[in-house]
Amino acid sequence: VPTLPDWAIQVLQVLTILALAPLITGIIARAEAIIQQRRGPRVLQPYYDILKLLRKETVLPAPAGPIFRAAPYVAFAGYAAIPLLIPVLTTFGLPLGYMADFFGVGLIFALTSFIVSLAAVDSGSPYAQLGSSRLRSFGAFNEPTVIFVTFVLALTSHTDLPYAFGATIRSTAVEVFRPSHLLMIAAFFMLVLNETGRIPIENHGSTLEFGQIEEGRIAEHSGPGLAFLRWGSSIKQLLFYTIFMNVLVVPWGMANDGHLDAVALAIVILFGKALVVGAAVVVIESSFAKLRLYKIPEFTVASFMFAVLAVVIFLFEPAFGDQRLTLFGAIATIAAVLVLLLEFGMLRSQDVWEQLRLYALGSSVVAALAVGTAATGHGSSELYILAAATIALKALLFPIGIRFVLRRLEAEPRVPSVIGVASGILLAIILCSVSFVVLRPVHIGAEAALPLSALPVAVGGVLVAFLLMVLRPHAPSQLLGFLVLENAVSVASLVIAPGLPIILALLLLFDVLVGVLVFVVLVQYLAVERTAVRTDVLNRLTG
Amino acid sequence: MTWTLYALLVVPLVAVLATLVDGWRLARVVTLLSGVICFGLAVAIAITVEHGRVLDTAAGWMRVDSLGAVFLLATGLLYAIAGIFSVGYLGVDQVHAGFPKFARRYFVYLNLFGWTMLLVPIAADFGTLWVAVELTTIVSALLVAIDRTDAALEASWKYILIASSGLGIALLSIIIMYATGTHVLGPEYIPRFARFLNHAHGLSKEAVALAFVLSVVGFGTKAGFVPMHTWLPDAHSEAPAPVSAMLSGSLLAAAFYAILRFYQVAVATGQRSFAEHVLIVFGVISLVLASFSVIRQGNYKRLLAYSSIEHMGIIALGIGFGAPLAVAGALLHVITHASAKGLAFFGAGSLLRGYDTKEVEEVTDAGRAMPFTGPMFMAAALALSGLPLSGVFRSEFEIVAGGFSRPQYVGVSLLLIFVNVAFFGIIWHAGRMVLGQSESAPDGSAAVIAHERSGWMIAGMAGCLIVSVALGVHLPGDLSALLTSAAHRLTAP
Repeated sequence: VPTLPDWAIQVLQVLTILALAPLITGIIARAEAIIQQRRGPRVLQPYYDILKLLRKETVLPAPAGPIFRAAPYVAFAGYAAIPLLIPVLTTFGLPLGYMADFFGVGLIFALTSFIVSLAAVDSGSPYAQLGSSRLRSFGAFNEPTVIFVTFVLALTSHTDLPYAFGATIRSTAVEVFRPSHLLMIAAFFMLVLNETGRIPIENHGSTLEFGQIEEGRIAEHSGPGLAFLRWGSSIKQLLFYTIFMNVLVVPWGMANDGHLDAVALAIVILFGKALVVGAAVVVIESSFAKLRLYKIPEFTVASFMFAVLAVVIFLFEPAFGDQRLTLFGAIATIAAVLVLLLEFGMLRSQDVWEQLRLYALGSSVVAALAVGTAATGHGSSELYILAAATIALKALLFPIGIRFVLRRLEAEPRVPSVIGVASGILLAIILCSVSFVVLRPVHIGAEAALPLSALPVAVGGVLVAFLLMVLRPHAPSQLLGFLVLENAVSVASLVIAPGLPIILALLLLFDVLVGVLVFVVLVQYLAVERTAVRTDVLNRLTG
Repeated sequence: MTWTLYALLVVPLVAVLATLVDGWRLARVVTLLSGVICFGLAVAIAITVEHGRVLDTAAGWMRVDSLGAVFLLATGLLYAIAGIFSVGYLGVDQVHAGFPKFARRYFVYLNLFGWTMLLVPIAADFGTLWVAVELTTIVSALLVAIDRTDAALEASWKYILIASSGLGIALLSIIIMYATGTHVLGPEYIPRFARFLNHAHGLSKEAVALAFVLSVVGFGTKAGFVPMHTWLPDAHSEAPAPVSAMLSGSLLAAAFYAILRFYQVAVATGQRSFAEHVLIVFGVISLVLASFSVIRQGNYKRLLAYSSIEHMGIIALGIGFGAPLAVAGALLHVITHASAKGLAFFGAGSLLRGYDTKEVEEVTDAGRAMPFTGPMFMAAALALSGLPLSGVFRSEFEIVAGGFSRPQYVGVSLLLIFVNVAFFGIIWHAGRMVLGQSESAPDGSAAVIAHERSGWMIAGMAGCLIVSVALGVHLPGDLSALLTSAAHRLTAP
């Protein structure tokens, strides 16, 4: 097998990204169309679009100057330069790979975005300028997010070179399953959605829509310029996917040396990884609605907050016992973080139906954790029964039952928060940090065997559940808050006391029963006062 | 003697079944019998374990020692007298439509409530203990809501939501306790109290301390510690009077008993002074806030509810002082408070039946209008304030004396000051209700004249009064031995 020289791999990295990018865009568009019961465009359609546009003539708006004409090419050059700096195909640094660190990469992204915005202003079109100013204002929190994400990585690896991040994670795989790292991944994924103009930020498919941001910004471009901008934005998307997967989530599956077969395999694996991220994007785009424009800052602020929380948690995380990576530890931490993130989702949501869905999802995660605990041999097989009961009651019966009752009572589905959503999330993040700070000096005694950093996450979940109950003066929301609290306690028990025998299963099932009975009281209450779903009208008994 | 434990489990359940057959005529007899039998059983158990013996049966799942027996006595006493009082209290409503259904529901829940609270001191492990406490929440929430008025439903909703959330925290404390136990007891075991005490040296101190604090917050929510007490005045004022008495005298104590089990483990792992400080802090906060709240209440059932918070604070302080005399006094206070508060709530129930109002302002001249209830309600107020001749005086005296011997001057001084504040509040309100002259209405006609409604209610109050005074005049040797043994278990396990 021939060995490729380093410079050839470097060139190949760029070419791979340039060539694959439109294909990924095409596959995502096709998959979304199929899910929406349409036939959709061909997978190769983005290539045809680019070729077609390249053959067309350029039409310039009257006020356009040299910046407008140069912008697409400058932006494209920026995108094409980034694959030199990040690990695309190899685990080892290529000759130009250490030319810039993570901030350098960010800077190039910023430059491309800036020049396109400048071109939009140069075009004189109010529509393009609107898109550009929207992007500027909504993107204000993206840069701090990137900075805090970099902090987490830099604290772990003591450097900010993308290659070094990947190498650190590869050397101690357990790093991936630290709560701080998982939160950082969540923050970065939200950033990816934001930067690549996906739902809930922007609707990619439509052409004329007032919510347009990125699409509006390039509305005045045509011909080859537009071709390069389109191509550039699909390259940007693939670049973000590559950084997300190859640096943060799974820095495995790249070539360790220059052998041709290893490099070829790395290309295939990169394609697979991009498809995995693409699949997640398709699922999100098909199941959520676009946010209203003025809600977008909430989304970006949330991703920033997650990144901040990740840094805080990193500083107070209990040290891992002997740094052994167990499957159980990984499952436990991921489940705990997922349950916490879903709680944040409930805190953000102002719609009781959405809260119910998120609760059902959280219950399913708990059930999965129970199954995972039993399957990895940490608990008795009774946990399977527990998981089945959790699914039956908490993921199906409760949400459907509550939905049924609320529908029957024609209750208002909007549940406004006492304070602003962003302040609520900020409070929740403070509570989570408090839980980490308080639990830091606590040594349970059986450190080596248990994924301990999942405990503070679960305790944080309990505190956030309390917050949820306090901030929403609505009976259904308070009930959900209580049920979420019970979920968080379940996570804690499965994580740090997985061996707790039948009696624990009994306790937890019993807790579920209490949930049912709380609900019975609620129904009684609602039946008496049909209109009073709000509990802040319950203020006769005070003092 | 282990059969007594099984009997305690079976008798109230039999009563529940019988109640389902007939909701009033049979139910009242059966409930009364069940209560008296359970109290008798509790006394028998207490006499058996008074010198440190432990009753242990059902493969170790049921266990009563002297500490548990103290709480069995308090629960049994109120269950029995509530049975007697309920006959009169419900009988007043007999003429209303739908009474048989209401009476059946009431007696089913009442017996179940008694059963769940008897279950708490019988549990041998933290898991069963938690389940039992959680069961008391569910059943008592249904009892609080039994009147189906808006206020009752609101109180019940608040109660179940806050108490269940608190118990979620309590479950977390059990989980942490269990996790630290895996270090010495293996990955899978049943979290029995005795095993933790025997292997205390292997438990992580920080984890036990954390579990203790969480248990004080979690179970303390049910025990009525400030600031987790917000459900308590509502539930106590909206529940039927006999239920209020049981809530106040037995339920709060049962939740406190759960904290004591954690306290035992904390002491055994060498975290004694930390645990004492936690209890003193919660005790003082509860005492201070409750004693001021007593003064500004306009509803006499809420007033008594705040007095319960105050007394839970006193009990927490007694345990927190740590001297054997103070601990024994705190445990005695559980029983004396149950009898005195039972008397007060029964009196309040009787006044409610007589005057049909819960407002202090609207009850006047009760001493003349209700010649038995009035004086006995006054006696309850005096007893709750800790005047001599009442059992509360004896137990508070022991707590104060023990506190001075330790010495815990700050805690004791605060205790003395705020007990007096509460004394002022209770006597002031009760005095106006019982001794205040009724004014005639502007049009010259006399105000509502209340009268005694039922001999059963008087009998219930008299029962409580006798116990309360008897404990103040002379402490039986058996009880004294029981308390000494229980205090020994808490201070030197």
